[in-house]
Amino acid sequence: MKRYGKTSKESRAPRPLPRAPASAEMLFEIGTEELPAAYVPGLIEQLGRETAALLQSRHLTCERVLSYGTPRRLVVIVRGLATTQHNPAEEIRGPSKRAAYDKEGKPTPALQGFLRSQGGTAADIKVVSSEKGDYLYFTKRATTVPTATVLPGLLLQLIAKLRSPKSMRWDSSGVRFARPIRWLLALYDGKPLRCTFGTLTSAARTWVGGPLHPRSVKVISVGGYLKSLTHAGVIVNQEERRAAIDKVVTQIASRARGKPAIETASHGLLEEVTYLVESPAPLTGVFDQKYLALPREVLLASMAKHQRVFAIQSSSHALLPQCVAILEGTPTKPDGIRKTVERILNARLADSLMFWNDDHTRLPLEQMATALSGVTFHEQLGSMADKTQRLVALIPPLADAWQLTGEERHQLERACRLAKADLVSTMVKEFPTLQGIMGKHYAKDSGESQAVADAIEEHYLPLADRAPKTLIGSALAILDKWDTLTSYFGVGIMPTGDQDPFGLRRAAQGIVEVAWAIHRPLPIDALLEARFTLPPFAGKDSNGMRQAGDRIRQYLLERLYMFAWPPPAPSTDCIDAVLSSPCRDLIDVMDRVRSLHQMLGHPDLLKAAKVIERTRNILKGATLRQPEVDPARLQEAPERALWDLYRSNEARVIELTNKKSYADATTLFGAVFFEPLHEFFDRVLVNVKEEALQQNRLALMRAIHTLYTDRIADLSKLTIVQQQQESAR
Amino acid sequence: MDFQRLIRTLDTFWEKQGCVIVQPYDMEMGAGTFHPATFFGALGPAPSRAAYVQPSRRPADGRYGENPLRMQRYYQYQVLLKPTPDNVQQLYLESLRACGLNLDHHDIRFVQDDWESPTLGASGLGWEVWMDSLEVTQFTYFQQVGGMDLQHISCEITYGLERITMFAQGTSDVYSLAYGPNTSYGDLHLANEREGSSYNFEHADVALHQQLFTSYENDAKRLLKAQCLMPAYEQLLKCSHTFNILDARGAISQADRPRFIMRIRTLAKRCAELYLERQEGTGGVRQGAGETQKAS
Repeated sequence: MKRYGKTSKESRAPRPLPRAPASAEMLFEIGTEELPAAYVPGLIEQLGRETAALLQSRHLTCERVLSYGTPRRLVVIVRGLATTQHNPAEEIRGPSKRAAYDKEGKPTPALQGFLRSQGGTAADIKVVSSEKGDYLYFTKRATTVPTATVLPGLLLQLIAKLRSPKSMRWDSSGVRFARPIRWLLALYDGKPLRCTFGTLTSAARTWVGGPLHPRSVKVISVGGYLKSLTHAGVIVNQEERRAAIDKVVTQIASRARGKPAIETASHGLLEEVTYLVESPAPLTGVFDQKYLALPREVLLASMAKHQRVFAIQSSSHALLPQCVAILEGTPTKPDGIRKTVERILNARLADSLMFWNDDHTRLPLEQMATALSGVTFHEQLGSMADKTQRLVALIPPLADAWQLTGEERHQLERACRLAKADLVSTMVKEFPTLQGIMGKHYAKDSGESQAVADAIEEHYLPLADRAPKTLIGSALAILDKWDTLTSYFGVGIMPTGDQDPFGLRRAAQGIVEVAWAIHRPLPIDALLEARFTLPPFAGKDSNGMRQAGDRIRQYLLERLYMFAWPPPAPSTDCIDAVLSSPCRDLIDVMDRVRSLHQMLGHPDLLKAAKVIERTRNILKGATLRQPEVDPARLQEAPERALWDLYRSNEARVIELTNKKSYADATTLFGAVFFEPLHEFFDRVLVNVKEEALQQNRLALMRAIHTLYTDRIADLSKLTIVQQQQESAR
Repeated sequence: MDFQRLIRTLDTFWEKQGCVIVQPYDMEMGAGTFHPATFFGALGPAPSRAAYVQPSRRPADGRYGENPLRMQRYYQYQVLLKPTPDNVQQLYLESLRACGLNLDHHDIRFVQDDWESPTLGASGLGWEVWMDSLEVTQFTYFQQVGGMDLQHISCEITYGLERITMFAQGTSDVYSLAYGPNTSYGDLHLANEREGSSYNFEHADVALHQQLFTSYENDAKRLLKAQCLMPAYEQLLKCSHTFNILDARGAISQADRPRFIMRIRTLAKRCAELYLERQEGTGGVRQGAGETQKAS
């Protein structure tokens, strides 16, 4: 993004002699009451994108669009915006000739209406003949309109396009925005633009000084505007503001021979604070050393979440009893503010220490877990204690597939039993984001093994950029998400559109991510079966459960289209092809997708694909009554040859697929069947009148077809095949 | 500036802004929002400006008088402005200055806080106002009240009177605040804070309150049927406070909580509907909006 510091220099440069400029600058500022920090980045991004799109749709060219934002203003600057809108000539279709003129050849109301709407006369009409008959066309001539007359309407559309997670009304005009809009500044080519939004009318002025000392400033140019903001201490460019905050926190930390806590960025505190102030000023504070006894995560949560202050760590990564608050504007009496900030921080930390000590009186964690029966998971799905029971019961299919040792199984079971216990701790009630993390600490303090403690923390992952690292953590993360996904689907609760109140999309995505990262089998059928033998589904209508199972399988597999595959990401048709074949193990499915994608463009794959396509075409629509080939009824040489090839290569193809050598299996399959199948189709008719013969040949086709499609993929779904079919038509 | 003068200062300030200075409602409630001047004042198109102190009961927040920032009974100063003036933020800051606070010596921030009262079916967008990182005020543009989307938007300003007086007096302990002549806040409230906490957490009779909740609810329904609006609303207030007591006693399980809330919300919605039906009948003239009308 271009730094505006540079432009103020530009504006100081001597102005060229007056001449009609081909382009000029536009400035639009939406002045608001304090926007939620989390909304501003999205609004800035939309402002840039939507402005560019609207300009383009109106045939307005520009050099660049810059967008900025603070809690109190959203700004878009367009540089090099053409002063004239050139609307190209257009041919607009009107009514058919038959509808346009009456018997006497006079224009009907239909034609009159059309001309009126286009602002033309009968002289501008021509008739164009087409397959559908003769139609009237109106040639709209190219027009030029001064940009300044187009912009007010465009800017209003722009405001209406801006979206935030929640919007509000603030007066009876009916307009909505994230927070009340209090002023609009619109300027083009140094002249004010007039647009009206709700009860507001734009003017060539901005406001500085925040709500405390509001002061309006006249604006006559983009450069002057930016200078006024700088003069008032406002850093309107979010990148600069973030960098300024980062720099000042780092400076203060280094004075204490430390640096900002490494989580500052990953926790989003720097990002949040960037959008909490428009004139950042630092304030240092200290807190009581005794609170350093608290776990690091608790200290950071207390400091970042409630008070939005930065923590500082020493060179040995330990937190120091210091903080940096970012204030709005440089305070005239920092000492008084510091006293309060420190007092509040100490009070919060005292609370946290009380929670910590209180929770420790309820350890061991196993004891704490007994209270889970009082915590509802979901009305129809029982308590968190019930969920814990289910997690334990889900272990065998996964542990078997992963070939876990006895000790690992034991650890996984411990972790399942304790995973949710911290939900009843006082600390997690106060800081819900510490779920899992407190479980880890409390598990360690209860004498549990490191593997169990880590698994408890990791089972809520993946979150943001963190993923489980340990074996047991990965297993628990999958089991927990599996239970959540299958439980809700089982009672008929599924994500629809963008409605997903129980986070099922994230759960399914999480299963895929964790399974792929650890790359161990995920036996979908066994896990489904295990889940449906547990409450509240045990003994329920098995048909209904099978349908729920199918929906879960489908939903889970559909995540593969959204999955962030490591490059090279497979194309959609590879996923289509594999998902058209049986999918029993998620990881095997993903491996097949990858293999297929790697073979794309390879002649061996094309051969195999042709075999699949041709056999599929002959099987499509045919009624198969005979499951197996009867060798005695194979008459012609080509069909006997095919059958012999099948018999001699079947085991080898199966063996290769069992070894997951999908590329080799595909190559072999194509090499074995491509030519002989060609020969067969050239010389043998499948759909003969004699049914026994026809059925036997179909059975042969089916044997060859399913040898591949039952194990790897339905290659007829590949784009390369489909394109060839298209061109053949 | 002592506590009682601060209240008087705010009264004077908001009176000048055209507010009716309403008296506290004489029933237990969790927040000033429950006062009829706000709940009904926010409904419908009729303009409304009111300000008042409301003692607020938060049974679960009691700390036996040992925490200087959390109490089971404290005072809110509540302002309701409909329609919302464009300079409402400035008015609010001006009122703090009137209370003797030099805002240039403080860091004032409006931090997103989307307020919601599930029991009243009310929600709004706004901020908590921070003074030197301590929340001193809740500032909300109502979007929904009684489960109904509002076309005519009110702004609700809820001052934490104790916290603001602490800043005005430069003290960090609520109980040592000067309340009035020779009287501290603690003189008036510390003993009750201890006993109140003890009652809410230890002595309140769970079975009795469970029974009371149902009785109040049934009575509210009966009164609603009889078109007896304010008496019905008062039964709702009793339900709400009874629920808060049960909650403080740990007698409401996670699973039961939404059901209790829904039961109160249903009453709130019905009260709001009845109020609006009447307003339409009287051509938009305010009626039954609590003390303001009854006072004459």
